Amino acid sequence: MVKKREFGIFFLLFMLGLFFAYIYTHITKTKNDIFERIQNHQIEQISYILQNIEIDMLDTSEIITTKDMFSMFKKEYVRAEYEHIISLMLTSNVKYVYILYKDEQNRFRFLLDASKTDKANFNQKFDVDSPEYEAVFSTKKPQVIQQNDVENLYLTYLYPIISNGDVIAIFNIDITTNIQKIILESIKPLETFFVVLIIFVLLLMVMTILQIFHYFVTRRKIFTDQLTNTFNRNYLEETLPLLNLSNYSLAILDLDKFKIINDTYGHRTGDYILSQTSKVFKESIRDNDILVRYGGEEFLLLINNRDKAKSALDICERLRKNINKERFVYDGHEIRVGVSIGLHKYPYLEKNFQEAIKIADKMLYIAKKGGRNRVISYDEKESTENSSSSGDISFVKEAIDENRVICHYQPIYDYKQSRIFKYEALVRIVTKEGIVIPPFAFLPQIKETNMHYKLTQRILLIVFETFKNNNKLVSINMNFSDLINSDIEETIINNLKDNQHLASRVTFEILESDEINNIELFKQKINLIHSLKAKVSIDDFGSGYSNFKTIIDIEANFLKIDGSLIKNIDISAKDFKVVKSIIHFARQSNMQTIAEYVHSEDVYNKLLLLDIDFMQGYYISEPKEALIGEEELFQAL
Amino acid sequence: MRATIIILLFIVALFAKEDRVDIKAQILEKIFLNIHIDKGITLWCDNKHLLEELKKSSYLIVTDKCAAATIIVVENKESIESDENCKNKPIFVLNYELLKNIPESFGAFFWKKGRPNIVIIEPRAVFQNIRLSKELETYKEEKVW
Repeated sequence: MVKKREFGIFFLLFMLGLFFAYIYTHITKTKNDIFERIQNHQIEQISYILQNIEIDMLDTSEIITTKDMFSMFKKEYVRAEYEHIISLMLTSNVKYVYILYKDEQNRFRFLLDASKTDKANFNQKFDVDSPEYEAVFSTKKPQVIQQNDVENLYLTYLYPIISNGDVIAIFNIDITTNIQKIILESIKPLETFFVVLIIFVLLLMVMTILQIFHYFVTRRKIFTDQLTNTFNRNYLEETLPLLNLSNYSLAILDLDKFKIINDTYGHRTGDYILSQTSKVFKESIRDNDILVRYGGEEFLLLINNRDKAKSALDICERLRKNINKERFVYDGHEIRVGVSIGLHKYPYLEKNFQEAIKIADKMLYIAKKGGRNRVISYDEKESTENSSSSGDISFVKEAIDENRVICHYQPIYDYKQSRIFKYEALVRIVTKEGIVIPPFAFLPQIKETNMHYKLTQRILLIVFETFKNNNKLVSINMNFSDLINSDIEETIINNLKDNQHLASRVTFEILESDEINNIELFKQKINLIHSLKAKVSIDDFGSGYSNFKTIIDIEANFLKIDGSLIKNIDISAKDFKVVKSIIHFARQSNMQTIAEYVHSEDVYNKLLLLDIDFMQGYYISEPKEALIGEEELFQAL
Repeated sequence: MRATIIILLFIVALFAKEDRVDIKAQILEKIFLNIHIDKGITLWCDNKHLLEELKKSSYLIVTDKCAAATIIVVENKESIESDENCKNKPIFVLNYELLKNIPESFGAFFWKKGRPNIVIIEPRAVFQNIRLSKELETYKEEKVW
């Protein structure tokens, strides 16, 4: 998750830098080694010559003390003789050769100077600063002074002239840097090359470090949801591959009726509630738990199981109770919020994390369905009961992804004019084996999940595509949650807004149920459909929750009477009366009526007596993949 | 102070080049801080670059006119031979050979075989009423060799 690539590059650069540094050091070491060998060779040669001169000087002139030396070299012709001999040592590398002695005041003076340039006078004082001069006298051994290229000097070799065990004078040989300079100049380009390489690698390393540093600085921003200050999906995606799921339980938290808060008090209030509830969530969990805003008012919580004292269920309950206790006040409104939680205790048992999320999501759905504000945990019992649920979700998902979602169309018959008035689009999924699966096999499992919305969206697209180039009419089933889904709304607007020819032939059959808990929002969405010139039909009317006031208010175009009232109408006088009343109500409210579940001739004939507008059912025609014509009706007989 | 001069000479020997005027000026400053004459030291130098460097000193009084100087620093004998204003003044030279050639010279600072050297000829200094600090003791010579 932490920029592996950058760390890899940094490591490579580091190794490359080390390699170049090693080579550079090796070259420098070799250079010093060559210098040392040259130096030793020069000193060895010089020592040999000096030794001979020393022997000659001491033996032939019988010199014992410094005074003897002084007396000897005081004579100009002696100096000239020895200067001549010693000057033979002068080469392009040996610049100065001279003999020094130390006077009573411990000052060094020239006895003889065989140098060709910068020649000193006899007995001239010579200020020396190196301790090696004294060391020659104390150790009685030759000394080497490394010079600093002053006057082109590289090193000074001090050779003691010893008589009777005492140092009476010293040979001073100054060697120039000529050879070293030649070697240096030869090696310089190579050294420069490696120095440039090392600098280049260092710069790259610095850039990589800066990039990594920048990554860490922006990391928090990237992985944090600004509103709730919790982690976001990016963090989950980055962290997931590194997480050991066996250490975690997975919970999906969803704020109850949050949409109503948003719609009633406005988005600012909604945002405030989100930030405050997430604060409560964070205070209710431990440091090693991971809270992620999964989208909208939905949070995903990874509960660390290392603390055996508190079970994941306990933590979820605590969380739920803490939210319940809170009174959120914004803009003078006191708002209470509930939370529904779906818990999967052992997500690692699933084949992947997405599967675990689906199961937790399913538990959340059960919690919502069971009255909200509760925690539902996935256990063995539910596992058995819902063994196919996660499979159903993925079954639908795969079908959408692989374009195996299709529509069958059932005619709605206008018996008065003996023609097909319109078709009702009914979803089917074709399995990989080619078997057509009816909706009751998968719709309940995906109800109120995102998959349901995706499926509805796909159906809309299929229907719009099928009907855009003909003149036939079509009905599409939708429930309230579909209607208020922003993606679905966008699909409807995009396809119908600028295509009135299509819009005027589309009817949205809205299931009339107690799910419509926000009447104002419901009316708003119906108005939107009307504004697009599409039509609205109330589906399954009369069976369950029937709000006559709302039906009148929304000015629906059609009223479809629930099949449970129709199917026995030929034998049930009670159903007959109810249907008759509904038809009367619809007519009064300017709505046309449709009877579904017309499965027999008797039912068909009975409905004729009620002067219903349209009929549909297997007696007339079963749903078919193609849009059938009138000649294919009543074939089931 | 003696230690200061020695350390300075050591540092000069380590890093300096002979022709570095600024280093030369620093050493001369140290030397003249240890030399005393009754009239007080006012320096003039025949090397214009060195003169400019000496002017940067916070301790030395430097003049552009040889006539106003109480001690003159000489690099080239000819530069003072023609100038009457430079006659009969104590001279500090920048070459050992000039000590021989100019009898009025009492001291010298020069490079010998890549090392900085200072020589003060004591009898000449005494003759010219020049007093030397102990710090210059080690550089005193009785005569020019």
